[in-house]
Amino acid sequence: MNENDKIQILKDILFEDESAYIEKITHRLEELESSLNDKQKFSSRVDPIIVYQLDEFKRSIPATLGPTITAAIKTEIGKNQDAVVDALFPILGKMIKKYVAQEIQKLSEKINQHLSFRDKISSWFGKSNEKQAIIEGLVAAHIEQVLLIDKKTGLLKASYSNAQTIDEEMISGMLTAIKSFVEDAFGQKNQSLELIDYELYQIHLQSFKNYFIAVVVSGTYTIHTKDRLQDLIFDFYEDFTKKEEYKLLSTDRINQKLTQNFEHANL
Amino acid sequence: MQISKKVVILGHFGVGKTSLIRRFVENSFTDNYTVSIGVHITKKVVEITADKSVSLILWDLEGTDDLNHVRESYLLGTHGIIYVFDVSRPTTFQEIQQDLAVLENKAPLIPIKVVGNKIDLVIAEEVIEILGNNNISYDFLTSAKTGGKVNDLFEQLAKMLALDAE
Repeated sequence: MNENDKIQILKDILFEDESAYIEKITHRLEELESSLNDKQKFSSRVDPIIVYQLDEFKRSIPATLGPTITAAIKTEIGKNQDAVVDALFPILGKMIKKYVAQEIQKLSEKINQHLSFRDKISSWFGKSNEKQAIIEGLVAAHIEQVLLIDKKTGLLKASYSNAQTIDEEMISGMLTAIKSFVEDAFGQKNQSLELIDYELYQIHLQSFKNYFIAVVVSGTYTIHTKDRLQDLIFDFYEDFTKKEEYKLLSTDRINQKLTQNFEHANL
Repeated sequence: MQISKKVVILGHFGVGKTSLIRRFVENSFTDNYTVSIGVHITKKVVEITADKSVSLILWDLEGTDDLNHVRESYLLGTHGIIYVFDVSRPTTFQEIQQDLAVLENKAPLIPIKVVGNKIDLVIAEEVIEILGNNNISYDFLTSAKTGGKVNDLFEQLAKMLALDAE
């Protein structure tokens, strides 16, 4: 046994505990390194913490960011009132219409409950329903023409027509002029001309911020017709304002969209 | 390619606005005209090049002696204005500077063509001298009756609007 061996034995005796400790630390470090490099292992350790932090963040948003967000939204709405109205109008319009329709349905049901038994029997067996159906069929409302018109200039943006009419660009200009005249004459802000009655035709006008839509309807124009028409217009306009693509689309393409929405629509 | 442009035509009563449009749009003229009321809208497509044209939507506003009374909604979004006066009636151009100032205020930055109509009723040289002496500048002296310079007016405006659109 030489000197070196003796020293080594002495070291082993003296540093036995430390060696075990170093070995333990080395093992822990290797494990740690392995879990850091292994995505799955690392993810299993970290994900719960992230999820917890995110939950905490979500919970704290109303208290911390809420006032800032609310203030920012208020400012933006104040700055761009027209744009907000234009975006919300089709959506709110639909909601209000649904609510009104439900209330009318309730009213109608109540009236039916109060109808006499005799009225009901005669309605079941009589020919009045048949006659009514035939008459309704004859005078049913049909969409003849739809014009999407720039509100300021009166220039035609797009159109759908199922028959040859006089120049649509001139009609658009005249409708804009008539609309402006009536609205100026009554001097009422936030109110707009909604319907022009022209012998066998009704021209329904729906105003938005930058455009208005004129729909020429033949046949009987009832509250139900108006209701259905507004649904169709809101659906089209909501899509029209949402999709930036429309701004880049050619007139022909928008005409096609109008045709898709209105050509076979039942009123 | 075709673009559409709104053009408003205005001026005092009886200066020949409607007749100018009729001459241009329908290429006909009638002495038996009535003073226009409110607004009348017509359209004429002007070919600029083989593949480019401008659809002029002409808003013929009722005559007025005070342009402050012109309905602002009729001027909204217009791309061009034609201001017409009657060269045979000085009352229709005596206050032209004020009228143009009102228009520039109501429709800022919109190109305005100033047109002296009914040149067939006067001696052109004399009118040009009178207008010059009164510092009245104009773009065209037209005659709706003979058709003189009518097409030139609308075609120049159409070309200008087409250039603006590019």
